[in-house]
Amino acid sequence: MKGGQRTGDLHSALRPWYFAGPATLWTVAFFVLPLAAMAVVSLWTLEGQSTDFSLANYRQFFANPSYYRAMINSLEVTAIVTVVSVLLAYPLAWILAEGVPERWQRLALILAILPFWTSYVVRSYSWLLVLSERGVVNNVLVASGLLNAPVQLANTRFATILGFVHFFVMLLTLTIYASLKQLPRTYRRAAADLGASGLQTFRHIILPLTMPGIMVGAFLTFVLAIGDYVTPQILGGNNELLMPQLIMLQIGRRGDFPLAAALSLILMLVVTVAYLAAARWLKLERA
Amino acid sequence: MKFQRSAAGRLFGTLLAGMAAAFLSAGADAQELNALVWCDHSDPEVLKPFEEANGVKVNVKEFEGTGAGLAIVEQSQPGDWDVMVIDSIDVRRGVEKGLFEPLPEDQLPLADIFPDVMMDQHGKVDGKRYGVTEKFGYNTIGFNKEKVDPADMQSLAALADPKYKSRIAIYDYYLPVIGMAALAAGKKTSELTEDDLPAIRDVLLKWKANSKLVGEVTASQTALATGEVDILVGGGEWVTAGLAKENPALDFSIPKEGGILWSQSLAMFAASKNKGLALKFIQYILSPEGQARLATSSCYWGMPASQKAALTDQERKTLRFDEQKEFLARAQPYPAPDADLDKKMQDVWTEMLQAQ
Amino acid sequence: MKNLAPSLAWAYALILYGFIFLPVIMLVLFSFQGTMFPVPPFNGPSLRWYETVLADSRLTSALVNSLVLAVATSLFAVFLGFLAAYGLARYRLPGSNFLRGLITAPLMVSYLIIGMGLNIMFNGMGVPKSLAAAGIGHVVINLPLCFAIIYSQMGEHQVNIERAARDLGAKDWQVLTHITAPMLWPALFAGFFLSMTFSWDEFVISFLLTRFDTTLPVEIWSLLRSGLSPKTNAIGSIVFGVSIVMVLVLELVVLRRRRI
Repeated sequence: MKGGQRTGDLHSALRPWYFAGPATLWTVAFFVLPLAAMAVVSLWTLEGQSTDFSLANYRQFFANPSYYRAMINSLEVTAIVTVVSVLLAYPLAWILAEGVPERWQRLALILAILPFWTSYVVRSYSWLLVLSERGVVNNVLVASGLLNAPVQLANTRFATILGFVHFFVMLLTLTIYASLKQLPRTYRRAAADLGASGLQTFRHIILPLTMPGIMVGAFLTFVLAIGDYVTPQILGGNNELLMPQLIMLQIGRRGDFPLAAALSLILMLVVTVAYLAAARWLKLERA
Repeated sequence: MKFQRSAAGRLFGTLLAGMAAAFLSAGADAQELNALVWCDHSDPEVLKPFEEANGVKVNVKEFEGTGAGLAIVEQSQPGDWDVMVIDSIDVRRGVEKGLFEPLPEDQLPLADIFPDVMMDQHGKVDGKRYGVTEKFGYNTIGFNKEKVDPADMQSLAALADPKYKSRIAIYDYYLPVIGMAALAAGKKTSELTEDDLPAIRDVLLKWKANSKLVGEVTASQTALATGEVDILVGGGEWVTAGLAKENPALDFSIPKEGGILWSQSLAMFAASKNKGLALKFIQYILSPEGQARLATSSCYWGMPASQKAALTDQERKTLRFDEQKEFLARAQPYPAPDADLDKKMQDVWTEMLQAQ
Repeated sequence: MKNLAPSLAWAYALILYGFIFLPVIMLVLFSFQGTMFPVPPFNGPSLRWYETVLADSRLTSALVNSLVLAVATSLFAVFLGFLAAYGLARYRLPGSNFLRGLITAPLMVSYLIIGMGLNIMFNGMGVPKSLAAAGIGHVVINLPLCFAIIYSQMGEHQVNIERAARDLGAKDWQVLTHITAPMLWPALFAGFFLSMTFSWDEFVISFLLTRFDTTLPVEIWSLLRSGLSPKTNAIGSIVFGVSIVMVLVLELVVLRRRRI
């Protein structure tokens, strides 16, 4: 009886692990271990095939202006993209949540997502052609008299930012919409009862309550944008390099995995710092 | 209501089964040849005659630069690859890594190859032939002769001319373009050392400041063809010839300072499990038909290494077949830096990319 | 002023929707281009590029690969995520918070880094590149998402029903499949749908981890290296069309379920 109970105890102690175990194991095996492998490899160097540990790759990043410039570029571009996308998305999310009749809202959302069901790579090339000197945008601007001659829009930082904003406006619209829908209608009614105008209600009730939703969306935008290779590579024309391009350059041109690993870890560090900052901000907000 | 019994569940189930069947059957094939190639070998028009004649399938993986190609090999297992297309000057690197198999000279039509591109000094190591040239061309100046004065294109100095600001694209491959910069600085590509880099860097930065974009094969071809730019540094017949039908205004010139000769060779892997088939593939590519198809491949055109290539008269004209002797006399090979100089060159290139 | 606001709002919404649809409209339009380049002027319409795409066996097999990979990895991610959410919500484990953090951690790391890490690890272990390797990467990026969505929907009200079922003699797996899963159907579906979306269009991880059998985004990338042509517009439009059909089918299926 006692033995059976002990096995029973063990079984019920192990039971939660049957459920949480597989996912944990998967994450450790295919996420944590690769990161560890990358950390080890980043300490090796390519020339001389050396597997002695050294910080040469990291030193190279901080010493070489072309390298740390890529990080600065990435931060600048990502910051602009995040701010612009939030500013454009909030009003749209508002219109969808408030202005559009309930039964058409889901359709409106699906319509907003639909264009992103074309292939990402093809969509980026499509933007390149739309923005090119012989493309639609220039044609329209010249034909309408706003410009005398086509202007260079493609292969610039502007094009990269536009390509990013295109996607993230959609993403942020969705997250802010979800956040707005969660707001109890009673809050607004209460504020109106107390004599608040629309603008005041927005500033003091709605905006603060939807801030967490905005922050989550903004953080997601930041992480996805800063690590993206396709958009800057296709739309930027190599007129400047962002971090993902610098990393892929090491892999593609020279197979320099140690340097690529070091650069990747530096990128991850920056994102982690951003995460901690965002998490701290959210905690402060809640308090 | 159980998920399994719902309509959605049934739909997913049949969809899964159907796709799994298609997916699993896709892998079951006849004998296969695995080739590591530049994009001109992926054209079905090039591969089909060989595949049909031998009842095999040729799997291709593309790369864009010897460093990248060798990186792919390093990440693979021995026996993963059978043949490789590699820049002729880099054949030695592969041999030193123990990758390549000596080729039987008596079974290859070597006599048909243009003597100037035989590249024995690169293809032969210790008396054994490891690589055989299959295609060549020039990294020089490609341009639109209706938008640009062809007379200007006879000198590399035009590339820094403010007259052409933002009308230029630079081909994103550091070796030949650094070679061109070396020519502009009055140096020989075969004798480059670290001391030459500052001069090269200056030329590159001047060109970058004058250009609109730096792009790989597609981006540069598109930019030139759609009129986004009118001049392509590092361009040559490989860009203009294939587009000649659509846009006959595209042409190339070899300026007085010279052009950079690119030449690609075929090599066989020592660890290959299909050596017989690999040899047959190399023989096919060197045959008149194979040479003609390779020369006019959809990714980029180029001069066939074999003088017996079965090209049409129009194709010969587009490739300037008859002017080749003169071109070859003014062309210099790709720089062949050691690992240390290579890294420094790449750093100069990265610096150029970041510069405004 | 009050009358202006709605028109301004509509104008704003229209402009933004126009912005969102612009590249796709151009994409579809120039897939019918008659000449070589997908730029104005438009010479067409012609179906030649669609014919080229459907005849290209590399593209069509890449399409199938993408679909199979997306479905398989999404199902697996939902499965693992569901089990983990159940385990962590219903039981008190030591270090629950840590485990939750661990499982959701990959959300914070760029796909490029995840792909590179796996590339380096598989390389070192001698594991060859393949669709399966890319699949592993896709599960890594989708598992945290599925877990987070499902976990957020786990609530106290479900516990009582589960307890009732257990009292009636149901075993654990029966409770899971007959009670919990159906109750969480919207979350499971959302996780599956989102995972499908991310996996289907994912480029970097597939690029780094596949060799010959590859996914559609990687194949399109290779295609683009060989020269820009309306062929890519055609495949992009086909993908777009397939997605519309899939969304319609899903809408009908879901709608029909709702009515029952």
